[in-house]
Amino acid sequence: MSLNFYRRVAFGLSPNEKPDKDPLNWAINQLDTIPDLLWPGTIPTEKDLRKKYGEWVYGDREVLRKKFKNDKHAYRKAKDELRIKTGERYFELNEHAIRHFQTKYSKQPVFERFWLFWGNHFAISEKDFLAEFSTGPYQREIIRPNMVKTFEDMVQSVTTSWCMIHHLDNSESFGPNSKKGMEWGETINENHARELLELHTVSPNAGYTQEDVIQLAYIMTGWAHKWDRKNLETGDIWFDQEMHQKGDKIVLGVKYKNDAKRELAKVIHDLATHPICIKFVSTKLCRHFITDEPTDEMINPVLEAWNKSDGNLIEIHKAVITQAYKYNENTHKFHPPEIWLMQLSRMFDLNIPLSFEKMNYTFKSKPNNRQRQLSWILREIGHSPYRAKQPNGWSDLEVDWVSPELLLRRFWFASVELPMLVKSGNRSHGFILSCLKNNFEDHENMASLIDNLKFGTSDYDLGQKYGVICNLPGVLKI
Amino acid sequence: MNCTRRNFLIGGSTTLFLSGYFPKISFASMQKKNLIIISLRGGMDGLTAIPVIGDKRLKKLRKKLILEDVLNLNSDFGLHPKLEIFHKLWQKNQAAFVHATNIPYTGRSHFDGQNLMETGAHIPYKEKTGWLGRGLLASNIIGKGLAISLPMPLLLRGVPQNNNFFPSPDFVETKLIDQIYNEFKGEHNELIKSTLDTIRQRPLSMQIATDSDDRKKLALEAAKQLKDQSGPRVAVFDLDGFDTHAAQGGVDGAHADELEEVNKIVTILHENLGQAFDNTLILTLTEFGRTIKQNGGYGTEHGYGSAILMAGGLLKKSQVYTDWPGLKKKELFEGRDLNSTIDSRAVYNSAMSICFNQDPEFLRKEVFWGDELPDLSQELFKI
Repeated sequence: MSLNFYRRVAFGLSPNEKPDKDPLNWAINQLDTIPDLLWPGTIPTEKDLRKKYGEWVYGDREVLRKKFKNDKHAYRKAKDELRIKTGERYFELNEHAIRHFQTKYSKQPVFERFWLFWGNHFAISEKDFLAEFSTGPYQREIIRPNMVKTFEDMVQSVTTSWCMIHHLDNSESFGPNSKKGMEWGETINENHARELLELHTVSPNAGYTQEDVIQLAYIMTGWAHKWDRKNLETGDIWFDQEMHQKGDKIVLGVKYKNDAKRELAKVIHDLATHPICIKFVSTKLCRHFITDEPTDEMINPVLEAWNKSDGNLIEIHKAVITQAYKYNENTHKFHPPEIWLMQLSRMFDLNIPLSFEKMNYTFKSKPNNRQRQLSWILREIGHSPYRAKQPNGWSDLEVDWVSPELLLRRFWFASVELPMLVKSGNRSHGFILSCLKNNFEDHENMASLIDNLKFGTSDYDLGQKYGVICNLPGVLKI
Repeated sequence: MNCTRRNFLIGGSTTLFLSGYFPKISFASMQKKNLIIISLRGGMDGLTAIPVIGDKRLKKLRKKLILEDVLNLNSDFGLHPKLEIFHKLWQKNQAAFVHATNIPYTGRSHFDGQNLMETGAHIPYKEKTGWLGRGLLASNIIGKGLAISLPMPLLLRGVPQNNNFFPSPDFVETKLIDQIYNEFKGEHNELIKSTLDTIRQRPLSMQIATDSDDRKKLALEAAKQLKDQSGPRVAVFDLDGFDTHAAQGGVDGAHADELEEVNKIVTILHENLGQAFDNTLILTLTEFGRTIKQNGGYGTEHGYGSAILMAGGLLKKSQVYTDWPGLKKKELFEGRDLNSTIDSRAVYNSAMSICFNQDPEFLRKEVFWGDELPDLSQELFKI
């Protein structure tokens, strides 16, 4: 088995890890339990961060805008101070650190790859201040605990999470015949219903119509955040009967009797167990771990595992890994920038993320450059994980990641920035060679490309070496 | 004065529905024509950029946002003083404006609105490609899109092989690129290899460029590329910050700062395109306009109708092209926003037809699902 399997399903092997005698079992055994988050620094709860979100929007919208209405300079200054006080510039940095610490040190890196997958399948794209305060805890508290349950459980949790409801505007969706809908002349907002169908479950392959979207939106009306003058839109999610569309609904030919808050769980059950949903999500899983255009032959065993286990994610994950193992030798997969960075960090033991002591934040001044470094790198290589531009998340296709500038950004990172992330004990040529040997069959050939620089240990020399090594065909792509 | 509806509509509404137009293949159409779109994210306030002169109602509703030293366009409309390049070009028939226009979206969400301004569709997130990308594809113009941003903007998606330019904080040595290039063999690496070809063929100025924070440099490089007869035919710029809920101000407010950025880009493009400016169209794009009334923070809220700022030698003449809806309460959209009387997609469709030498009727079907978009090319552009 090629060593690239460790990058296909995880992040490669760190200098103190050795290839396993049975790589398939090594991988499969990582999927039964949820590994603890290893980050020794602060891991705030979703609820705490939502409170901060509230302080920030209230402070800006209700206080500062009114106070400094005549003075854009004073307004900007006061706003910057509020950013510092509420952590508006800090929490996302901390979330990136938590995430990258996990993928770097986890004893179950294969599990972590699935964590990234699901977080992106149920993506929260860039909207309002979600990336600043909410997307990180959503990944930790909504996505992660559901990874040992069923797919349906995950859809239920995601759909009623504050983060997704805010992201897709369900709090602004009123049943036109509901009490509030009639009083205020409001109607549905279809966003969340459409994405639940299109992106999260059955996909357009199910052939749903605009009427199906509307009917599902009716079912979803009432699932909204609580609102009050002080917390604004950051209240807990509840079911507001006064927003809910009365009457029976029909989605994809199935009738849902007027049953208030219980309608949603029923329709999610049907969507999450729909054969087309199973096919759609299985294909995405195979695309992520095997190749951009997986064949039916690759996907079918995953479908079988799904059906046999009634959508148990542990069994589904194991089937995906088994297929990834089976097809490892003759398929190729291009990895998006963030996974590439995580792999380099693990394989070459790079100095990211920053230590938790140095990440410590006092809410008294702007986060410093070192604290911002990882997030800055992610942005510069074009893959800030919680800032996808659209609710369909980041693409998993090579064609979307190979543009002139996006490739150049990787060359830049490896040749200019990476040397500054090499730990002081790891600057020798021998260290690079041993990492290569640990991760690539082709290591001798790779080593020959940097052989002329074997005595160089300056940042510039390291840049010359890593610049080439990290961007070779067998590294950008497995 | 208080402008009333239909004062400015050129030729009356029937001409809006002219159809059956086919461009003649002439020498002019052999020349490469450039289409440049500047996205103004956050909701550009058309009434700040192109204020109505002497409207009492507007004055009353925007006491703290009143503009002084407005540049004169005609008896009815002025121009924000920070948009001086447009004023300069106006004198030469190279600047024009479409007013009271927007995409057909009234929902007031930035994210949905920006999605729709790029896809050109009616339902947010439903379409995964941009109208410009589809227009290029339908016109069989491949590999001629240049995005001045790191991610490929949705607007340009839908056509393969676009280039993008948004240099990293430091440049990459050519010898490194060459060395990597030499290693890329094998069929499954075709895409990477051809992209590396594009990188290697870049002019030196692009290769050694750094610092994407400097919009001037980016615009300068874009101008150089567009000027090249074999270079890109389409460029997309992205600006944000138009969402001025507070301290929007007048001549020097927060909105003015953003207009100044637009002015900067257009100035650089104009200066550096040289002769090619004659064969260029620059158009702005935004998700919505802003409320007529100032809010409690002396800013404005999300609205509906906005304006399109246009520059370039392919414009027919200097004009404020509008079917003015008026600013009386009953004339406003939902009693609060400037209405939109022109589907802005009609302007973009017509602009593509001019720049891509394509029948607007064909583009309307290929790009905008046959939506009823009048051909405005005769009114707005040189044919």
